[in-house]
Amino acid sequence: MIMTNNTLRSFLLIAALVVALPFATTSNTLAATILIYGMAAMACNLLVGYAGLLSFCQGVFFGVGGYVAGIVLLDTGIGLIPALAIATVVSALVAGMIGAVSIRRTGIYFVMLTLAFSQMFYFLAYSQPDITGGDNGLNGVPRKPLDFFGLLRVDLDDNQVFYGLVAVAFLAVYWLLRRVIESPLGSTLIAIRENGTRAWAVGYDPRHYKVLAFVISGAITGFAGALDGLLLGIVPLSNIDLRMSEHIVIAAILGGAGSLFGSAVGAALLVFATDLLSEWWPRWQIILGVALILLVIFTPDGLTGIWQNLKARLGSRRKAGTPAPAGERMGVE
Amino acid sequence: MAIYLFQIINGIGLGMIYFLIAVGLSITLGLLGFVNFAHGVFYLLGAYLTYQIAAATGSFLVAALVAPLAIGALAFVLERGVLRHTYDLPHKYQIIATLGVVLIVQELVVVGWGPLGHGVTVPEALSGIVMLGGFPYPIYRIFVVAVAALMAVGLWLLLERTRFGALVRAGSESAEMVTLLGTDVRLVMSGTLVLGAFIAAVAGVLIAPIRGAEPNMNIEALGIAFVVVIIGGMGSFTGSIIAGILIGVIQSVMSTVWAEGSQLMIYVAMTLILIAMPRGLMGRA
Amino acid sequence: MERRKFIQMTAMAGLGMGGLPLRGALAQGNAADLFMVSAFSGPFAANGKYGEMGGRLAVKRLAAEAGRPLNYTTIDTQGNVGVATRKVQEAVAQKNARIFLGGALSSEALAMSREIHKANGLYITYVGADEVTGSNCNKSTFRWSVPTYGAIHETVAPVADLHPQAKRWYTITPQYVFGEGLLNNAKDVFKAKGIEHVGNSYHSLQEKEFSGYLANAVAANADVLLILNFSQQSIDTLRQLANFGLKKKMKIVVAWSAGLDHFSTLGADICDGIYFGVQYWHQHDVPANNEFVKLCRENFKSAPTLFTAQDYSITTMAIKAIAQANSTDPAKLIPVLEALKWDGLTGEEKVRAFDHQVEKNYFLLRGKPKDKMRDADDFADVVGLGKSFVPQDQSECKFA
Repeated sequence: MIMTNNTLRSFLLIAALVVALPFATTSNTLAATILIYGMAAMACNLLVGYAGLLSFCQGVFFGVGGYVAGIVLLDTGIGLIPALAIATVVSALVAGMIGAVSIRRTGIYFVMLTLAFSQMFYFLAYSQPDITGGDNGLNGVPRKPLDFFGLLRVDLDDNQVFYGLVAVAFLAVYWLLRRVIESPLGSTLIAIRENGTRAWAVGYDPRHYKVLAFVISGAITGFAGALDGLLLGIVPLSNIDLRMSEHIVIAAILGGAGSLFGSAVGAALLVFATDLLSEWWPRWQIILGVALILLVIFTPDGLTGIWQNLKARLGSRRKAGTPAPAGERMGVE
Repeated sequence: MAIYLFQIINGIGLGMIYFLIAVGLSITLGLLGFVNFAHGVFYLLGAYLTYQIAAATGSFLVAALVAPLAIGALAFVLERGVLRHTYDLPHKYQIIATLGVVLIVQELVVVGWGPLGHGVTVPEALSGIVMLGGFPYPIYRIFVVAVAALMAVGLWLLLERTRFGALVRAGSESAEMVTLLGTDVRLVMSGTLVLGAFIAAVAGVLIAPIRGAEPNMNIEALGIAFVVVIIGGMGSFTGSIIAGILIGVIQSVMSTVWAEGSQLMIYVAMTLILIAMPRGLMGRA
Repeated sequence: MERRKFIQMTAMAGLGMGGLPLRGALAQGNAADLFMVSAFSGPFAANGKYGEMGGRLAVKRLAAEAGRPLNYTTIDTQGNVGVATRKVQEAVAQKNARIFLGGALSSEALAMSREIHKANGLYITYVGADEVTGSNCNKSTFRWSVPTYGAIHETVAPVADLHPQAKRWYTITPQYVFGEGLLNNAKDVFKAKGIEHVGNSYHSLQEKEFSGYLANAVAANADVLLILNFSQQSIDTLRQLANFGLKKKMKIVVAWSAGLDHFSTLGADICDGIYFGVQYWHQHDVPANNEFVKLCRENFKSAPTLFTAQDYSITTMAIKAIAQANSTDPAKLIPVLEALKWDGLTGEEKVRAFDHQVEKNYFLLRGKPKDKMRDADDFADVVGLGKSFVPQDQSECKFA
C-alpha cells in the first residue's frame, strides 16, 4: 500500500495547493523559490523536529548541492537528471560525514559543532574561487533540458515548465519524507529524541539512526540547492553561509517543528512575507523579529500549533452538539 | 622571530577583549542553561552608546561609565520582559527567540544611526604608541588590557567572595538547591544576565575606538563568544580567560603563519576541543 | 515612508522647477520605464537609499531632454543574489521591464546581467568585478565604474612616481575574487616600476582585526602599505593602522575607496596623508559636476557621495540614450550607448564599444590635515587622475 486514505487525502490537498501556488503568487519564479525552500525546511524538520537535532549547517548541504550540480552542468556534458542525482549523492555524503562527527555531542555542543562546520565550509567555498566562483558565485549554470534516455525531451527555459519540474520534485520529496516518518525509522528517531538512553537499552544504536537522518536530510537539502542553482542560473556564495542555515531553521520552526507540511508552509510564509514586506518597509525584519519572539512565547508549535488550536476549538464545539450562543462565539475569537 | 613574539603579545591583548565578550555568556549558559544568541547585541549597543555619548558630551570617559550601566538596565528589562519566559523551553526556542531580539535590535540600530558605521576617536590621553621590540603598539590597547584585567579581578572577587557570587556558582550546579535554601533564584538569574550584559557592553565600549561602531558587529562577537565558551568550558571563569587568550593568540599568530586561515583556525580549534574534550579546557566533568 | 515622502517632494519640485513641457512629452512617444535595482534593506541598505536619490535627481534634471515621461521604479534586492535574480525575472515577465540600472554587489550584478541579457534588455551597472566587462560581458550590459586595472594603474603608478625612494611595498588583500584582481594588477605595476613586493597578507571576508597583518608589514620593513580591501574592512584597517602609528612609518595607499562616505566616518585625523583611489570626487571642477553638486546641496543639504553620483551617472546615460534613439527598445538603445560620449561628473566620459566599459577618470586623492579643510567635506586634494583600461587585445570580453 502506498499510503493510507488519510495520507492520500492530505497528499492530494497539498498537490492542489502546489498547482495553485504560481497563480496565487502571480510569479512562477517566486512559487518555485517557495517550493525549493519548502523542501529544505522539511528536510531540516526531519532533523530538528523528529530527530531532535538542531542542525545549523543545512546551508552547507544546500550550497554543496548547488555547487556540485552547477559544476557538473557547466563543465561536463552530463545531462540534467544525472547531474541532479550526483548533487544529491554528494550532499548526502557530506551530510553523513558532518553528522557522524557532530552527533558525538548533544545539546548546545551539537549545535556549536554544526555551526563550526558551517563556517568551515563557507571558508572552503570562498577560498576556492576557481571551483566555486568565490564571492562572485558560480555563474552561468545552464538549464539543460530534461532528457529521458533520448526518448523524451522537455525544455525547461520557460519558467512555467520549470515550475512544473520543481512542483513534481516537491511532491516527491514530501511523499518520501512522509514515508520515512511513518516508517519504523521515523518512530525510532522520535524514540531516540525522547530518550536516547532507553532507545539504546532496547537495542537501537542512536548514532546510526541519527547519521541516517542526516544523510536523508542532506540529500534532500542538496537536491533543493541544485534546483535553486538551476532556477537562478547562479549559485551564490550566500547559499552556503550561516544566514542560509539560520533561515532554513527559522522556516522549519516557524511552521512547526514536528510537522512536515507545517515547515513547508513556514518556508512559504517566510519567502512570501519577506518579499511583500521589503517592498513596503526596508526595516521589515523588525516585524520578523517580533513574530519570532511572540511565536516562541505563545505558540512554540508555530503555525501548526495555531492550526491545531483552531481545529481543536472547532472540533470541541461540534462534539458539544449545541452551537454556542453568538456572544460567546465572538468572545472566543 | 620577533614578529612571532609580537603576535603573541598582540594576541593576548585581543584575547582579553574576547574574554570580556565571552565571560557573560559563559556564566549565563552555565547557570541558566540559557542559549543567548542575542548576547552580541550588548556588545553592539555598548559601542553605539559610546559613540553617541562621546559625540554628545565630548568625553570618552563619561561614555565609558554611562554606557555599560545603561545597557545593564536594558538587559534587565529585556530579561524581565522577554527572555525569562524562555528559560524552561527547549534550546531551539531560546535560539529562535533571541534571534528575533537580534533582528529587532540590529534594525533599530540602523534606524537610529544609519546603515554605515561611526567612528569613535581614541581619547587624547591614551593615543600614542610604545615600542615592543621593533613593533609599535598602541597605548590604547594596553589600556584595554589593563581594564580587562581589572574587570577580571573584579568579577573573580564578585564570584568568589560575595554572597551573590556564591549563589551564582551554586545555582549553576543546582538551581533547585538554591531555591530550597530560600533564595529567589529568579533574582539571581536576572542578576547573572545583567552582569553578563554589563561586561559585554564594557567590551563594546573598549572596542569602539579601535573598530568603531557598525550594525553587524554583534555577529562576529557572538561567534567569538561561543567559541571561547565552548573551549573554555561553560560556566567557568578561568576557562573563559584561558580560552579567550588562546583564541586571541591563535588568531594573531595565524596572521603571520597562514593569514587566510586565521579566522578559520578558531572554528577548527573549537571543533577539535568539542570532539576531544567536550566539557572544554576548564569545564567541570 | 521616507521614500514615499521624498517621491512626493521630488515630483512636486520637478513640476514646479524645470517645468515639464507636458505637451511635448505627450506628443513624443511612450513613457520610459527605468528600473533601479539595489539593496534597500539588509547589510547594504546604504547603497539603495543614496543611489535612489542620485537616480531621481537625474530623472528630474533630464526630464526635458528625455522628451517623454520617465518612470523610475526601485527594486529591493535585499543584498541577496537569489532575490535579485528572481525579482529581475519577475519584473521582466510581469512588468515588461527591459531597462535596468544599478546593483549593490558584484555577484548580484553578474547574475542580473545574465538574466537581463536573456530577456534582451539593457543593464547599466557600476559594480567593480572585472568579469562584468571581461569574461562575463554581454551585449546588454554596460558598466560605469573603473575596474581593477584602472584603479591600480591610477593609484600605484602615480604614488610610485611621487615617492621614487619608496621601493618596498606591502599589500593587504581580501579573499574576494575582486581583491585578487586588484593584487594581480598591482603586481604588474610593481614590476613595471621596479618596486619590490615585500609581502602580502590575505584575509578572510569577515575579518575585523588587522593588527596581525599590520605587524607583518612592519616586520617586512615596508615603505608603502597598499590596502586592497574596501568598505567596512578598509575603514577598520585604516583606523587600526592609525592607532598603531603606522602613518608615520610608511606611506598608505587605499586603492579602492568609496570616498566621502568613508572620510566622514574616519575623520580628518585618520585620513590626513593617506592616498585614496576613488571613482568620484565632488570637488572635481567640471561644469557637469559643479552643477550636480549644487543640485545635491540644494536638494539633500549635503555634498554628494559615490552612491548618489554613480546612480546619477548611469541614469543619465540611460536617459540620454533614450533621447538620442527616440525609443525605449534596448535593441535601439544599445548601439546609441556604444557610441555615447558626454560630459560626465568625472570629466569627459565615453563608452567603449567592444566591451561596453565607460572610459572615465579615476582619481588619486591625498587626505589633508584638519586645519587645512575649507569646509566640512574638504577632506582631500586631488593629486592625480587619469583613464586606464585593459587594452582590447588583452581583454577577455568577447560578445557572443
